[in-house]
Amino acid sequence: MKRLTAFLPKKIAISPPVAAVILAVVLFLLSGLLPNGYGSNVSIAIAQATNITRLSVFLGVIAAGQTLVIISGGEGIDLSVGAVVTLSAIIAYVIINGQDGMLLPGLLAALAVGAAIGLLNGIGVAYLRIAPLVMTLGMSGVVTGLILVAQHGNVSGAVSPLMTRVIARPWFFGIPGAIIIWILFGLLMWLLIERTTFGKNLFAIGSNRTTARLSGVHVTGMVVATYALAGLLSGLGGFLVLGNTGVVFIAMGNSFLFPSIAAVAVGGTLLSGGKGSYFGTMAGALVLTLITSLLTTMQMPDSVRQMVLGGTLLVLISIYGRQRGFRQ
Amino acid sequence: MSVSLSARNVVKRYGGVVALSDANLDVHSGEVVALIGANGSGKSTLSKIINGVVVLDGGQLLLDDKPVHFSSPQTAKQMGIATVFQELSLIPQMTVSENIWLTREPLRGGLVDHKNVRLRTEELVALFEGTHKFSLHPDSTVDALPPDEKQIIEVLKALSSDPRLIILDEATASLDSRQVQRLFELVASWKQQGKAVVFVSHRMEEIFRIADRFSVLRNGKTVGAGLMKEITERELVGLMVEKATATSVVQRQRQVLKKNGDQKIRLEVHDLRTDLLKGVDLQLRDGELLGIGGLKGQGQRDLLLALFGDLPYTGSVVVSGEAVHFKLPRQAIEKGIALVPGERAKEGLLYIRSILENLMLPSWAKFGIPLHIGKARQAASEVSNELQLIMAGLEEPVSSLSGGNAQKVVIGKWLLRNPKLLLLDDPTKGVDVGTKAEFYRLLARLCDNGTAILFYSSDDEELLGLCDRVLVMHDGVIRSELSGESLTKSNLIAASLGASNASLHEDPSSAAGHTYERRDADESSTAAPGPAGAGETDPPSESME
Amino acid sequence: MNNVLNRMRWQYFTLRNPYLFSLLLLVLAMLVNLFFQPDLLSRGSLNSNMRVFLPLVLVTAGQAVVILGGGIDISVGSIVSIVNAILATQLGSNASPEKIALMLGAVLLVGMAAGAINGFFISYLRLQPIITTYATSFLYAGVALFILPSPGGAVPNGISSFYRETTPLGLPLTLYVIPLILIAWYLLRQTRYGGYLYAVGGKADAAYETAVPVNAVQFSTYVISGLMAAFGGIAITLLTGSGSATIGADITLTSITAVVIGGTALRGGVGGVAGAVLGAITLGLFKNIISFANVNLWWQTFVNAAIIVVALAAPGAINLLRRTIGSRTRQHPTTGQERQA
Repeated sequence: MKRLTAFLPKKIAISPPVAAVILAVVLFLLSGLLPNGYGSNVSIAIAQATNITRLSVFLGVIAAGQTLVIISGGEGIDLSVGAVVTLSAIIAYVIINGQDGMLLPGLLAALAVGAAIGLLNGIGVAYLRIAPLVMTLGMSGVVTGLILVAQHGNVSGAVSPLMTRVIARPWFFGIPGAIIIWILFGLLMWLLIERTTFGKNLFAIGSNRTTARLSGVHVTGMVVATYALAGLLSGLGGFLVLGNTGVVFIAMGNSFLFPSIAAVAVGGTLLSGGKGSYFGTMAGALVLTLITSLLTTMQMPDSVRQMVLGGTLLVLISIYGRQRGFRQ
Repeated sequence: MSVSLSARNVVKRYGGVVALSDANLDVHSGEVVALIGANGSGKSTLSKIINGVVVLDGGQLLLDDKPVHFSSPQTAKQMGIATVFQELSLIPQMTVSENIWLTREPLRGGLVDHKNVRLRTEELVALFEGTHKFSLHPDSTVDALPPDEKQIIEVLKALSSDPRLIILDEATASLDSRQVQRLFELVASWKQQGKAVVFVSHRMEEIFRIADRFSVLRNGKTVGAGLMKEITERELVGLMVEKATATSVVQRQRQVLKKNGDQKIRLEVHDLRTDLLKGVDLQLRDGELLGIGGLKGQGQRDLLLALFGDLPYTGSVVVSGEAVHFKLPRQAIEKGIALVPGERAKEGLLYIRSILENLMLPSWAKFGIPLHIGKARQAASEVSNELQLIMAGLEEPVSSLSGGNAQKVVIGKWLLRNPKLLLLDDPTKGVDVGTKAEFYRLLARLCDNGTAILFYSSDDEELLGLCDRVLVMHDGVIRSELSGESLTKSNLIAASLGASNASLHEDPSSAAGHTYERRDADESSTAAPGPAGAGETDPPSESME
Repeated sequence: MNNVLNRMRWQYFTLRNPYLFSLLLLVLAMLVNLFFQPDLLSRGSLNSNMRVFLPLVLVTAGQAVVILGGGIDISVGSIVSIVNAILATQLGSNASPEKIALMLGAVLLVGMAAGAINGFFISYLRLQPIITTYATSFLYAGVALFILPSPGGAVPNGISSFYRETTPLGLPLTLYVIPLILIAWYLLRQTRYGGYLYAVGGKADAAYETAVPVNAVQFSTYVISGLMAAFGGIAITLLTGSGSATIGADITLTSITAVVIGGTALRGGVGGVAGAVLGAITLGLFKNIISFANVNLWWQTFVNAAIIVVALAAPGAINLLRRTIGSRTRQHPTTGQERQA
């Protein structure tokens, strides 16, 4: 098979990230056809496209950590992102408390909390050999418990004006700050994955941990670092979400959890690890945000949204995620 | 009971690789047919087609002269075909009796009749009574048993279904001579009962002892079949091997490798112990190619992995004059050690990643932050040129390479680091002859440049042809050291079977209880006819597929 | 040599007594619980406890079967929610006995169908169990929410109180279900299917070569799990008497935890349903202890979750300790096979 395909013209099969971008464009065009869509009004269409891209940023950043964890293989997945987003947002909210001067400490605290939780996840997965899904789901419960404790203390705080301006408002040409941040972030992610030893080792442990270890990669260290980094990125996500919403609530991160995994899958990252890209995930975040907004425009209830997302992931793994059969 | 099975013009492809192109086999009631072939000739594939594990892509199977199609192992089993697998088909966590009777447990009122199971297991185990060290208990967990007893369970498992046709796929590889003897007594009784037996093996001596007919596979094609009594060992070996063999290259290299002795000691090991190793001592100098031989699974792999820091051990290891105790391979790598592991796909390669990334994996840190990909690509293409890697491009996945080329990548990733000490775990297994020759030249070049090489091979011919000194391992210790005059094929075989150095020098032929032709080093280096060494007993040290 | 013997003994011991650890834990939990709630074993508290534990016990039994067979089922909680939503919306307070019987049968079929969908994707399309059931868990949760968008609904009082109050021979009805599960498991274990389950979970490739119908066995484990989740859903509906589309959300992780502390390895092939049932009861007792120990209400979620994480970490922590202390009895790093240290 592989030999055969090597002789075929290469670009017959489009790569998953490109497919995801095409899907995003098609979905966007379709959304214009809806009764309450933008129709033929170009300026409204552009505004809507900008808005959807802006909304994708939050999912996109949160799914960045998910991308790393999934690439790292070993059934890697992080189900604690939702809770971490909420907790780090609450912490930033409390620390910043409306003061621009506290913005940086607030950001650092959000990142640190995320990294600390991710570190625990990593230790559980790498050293205690707990299945990642189970470990991070358990951690999600613990973090939710912490959130409840924190909420009980009647969280008081506020976002600062600068924060809102940077994240939620346009910088220039009407392009929201969040989108510019995302583009820079995307470039950094690309550098991290494709142009550092960490990134190369990440792909290595994702495709074959024994080979990686026998080639000098510190596998357990890499796994711990990956989960910690993923936690940190969730913390960043929480900070950005806070800057957008301006308020905190118990379930604010939950709605990002499932889409973060689906976005990674849509972007063509192998769920079994070892192969993938952050650009794919960015495209995936666009697709999922579009699906959600399409369903909202069609006034579908939350239950339908869940069914559609669940079904989407199921279809995706059926396409990308088949394992070898017993029969050869 | 009568049975006959024929495979006609069987074809099987794995991806682009043709495993079988025209395989044929006939076997009838009351006879043993030996299925013979070299490494990668397709023996295991053919036997897996017969028992329904692998689907054929072309040709057909005839059972009792009627075409059959096995859609799964279940179907083959129902037709009375049982297999003794070389790669064991036992469930480690289950007990001996559970394993033997799996899918055919005697029932009573719909439930498994444990009393009956136990009784019948004991009956079966009794067939091998007196040949196993630990008492083989129906309730022992299979995981806890030594390899030979696992193999016996595998035989009993096949036997328990009272099959008409039994395939013994390298079933004797991990058995000792007493157990083999018992197995052959059983085979003789199966013949009496009218069962048919396919005996897949590469041990010439056993083939001549037990088989009635033979069928030789070469590169997936049946190239000869006939009666055992009408063929000599030399002719059989001639059928197995292709005309151009690597041996001639081996011998030439040996001349190159003759000189050393005053070089610096690179590696010194004293009383190295792991689960399998029971105290290993050795010394290796720069520029030396030190061979490790012996039967499969005598601790060779453990030795290499322990030295590479991948296996906990006790004992002292001194590398380049410095006492070390590696806990991770990366520490060993930092000291200039490299390992080419035994299982290429599972341990040596990132299958879905590019050739570039595979070559660069241990060396990325040298290319800065952010990585200078251009430089890395240049370094990689230099290595791939040096190795004469046949590929479509550095960005192609390793999975697009053939076996030999993939193995070059495994070695290539270490060449970039100029290792001082190279550990090789059976590196030519499943590699074609041409690549082998290139590989030998590479080793010679490395030695000339002063690299110390510790080289485990399951191919005795390689050890004889390439190494100045060979340490033969048996049961976790170095049983004997062969070099110069004592480095002969017969000594190697005798030592593999457990003879110590002392007895070898006195009388190699009686040491292992077999008769071997005595032949000294000079003779073997000029007249070795082929890998199997015609006129001699084939070394039982390797497994072929 | 001594080492080998030690290892064999330990392995033999743990394999023969997979439930020992969970039994000890159960006794410990019971003693602590007795300290906080001295009348724990009185008829009244026994009944009130057992009817609370039962849904988890039922779901856990199914989860254990899946995990033994080498898989995992993340969707059980959502199946519980679907069943709860169906019963709460379809029965109402005044359903006739015929309708009740019909609906109970229907939800059992729904559970099996949900399990069959999981099984189809996993065993026949060869998808990874974790991610597949995670996807379907989201899908099924959506279905539950679709059926019952906001909490409410009801079931007839009669069947609810039958579940809650009946005490044949002086013991709570719910207490009889547990021996029933154990007997069913014991019988299943004695069939050929029981052996297949361990074989498939232990080493699927070898099982396939031995002609075990691997795909069918894997498929069946998800159907069983779906069925047990449906039973669990019925129990939880009778317990609460009303419906909520998220009622099962927490039960998934708890059931996996119960299986783990019950001595079943997550990689499959070792353990059993009986230990898992003990594990479920133990977790129930822990929850009991937390509420009786006057843990601040706001901290309860945290403490509960922390206990679950610690329980999940325990086997790994013990292994890590053994690996570091006895450096020579270890997991073979390269083959990844546990040499049963």
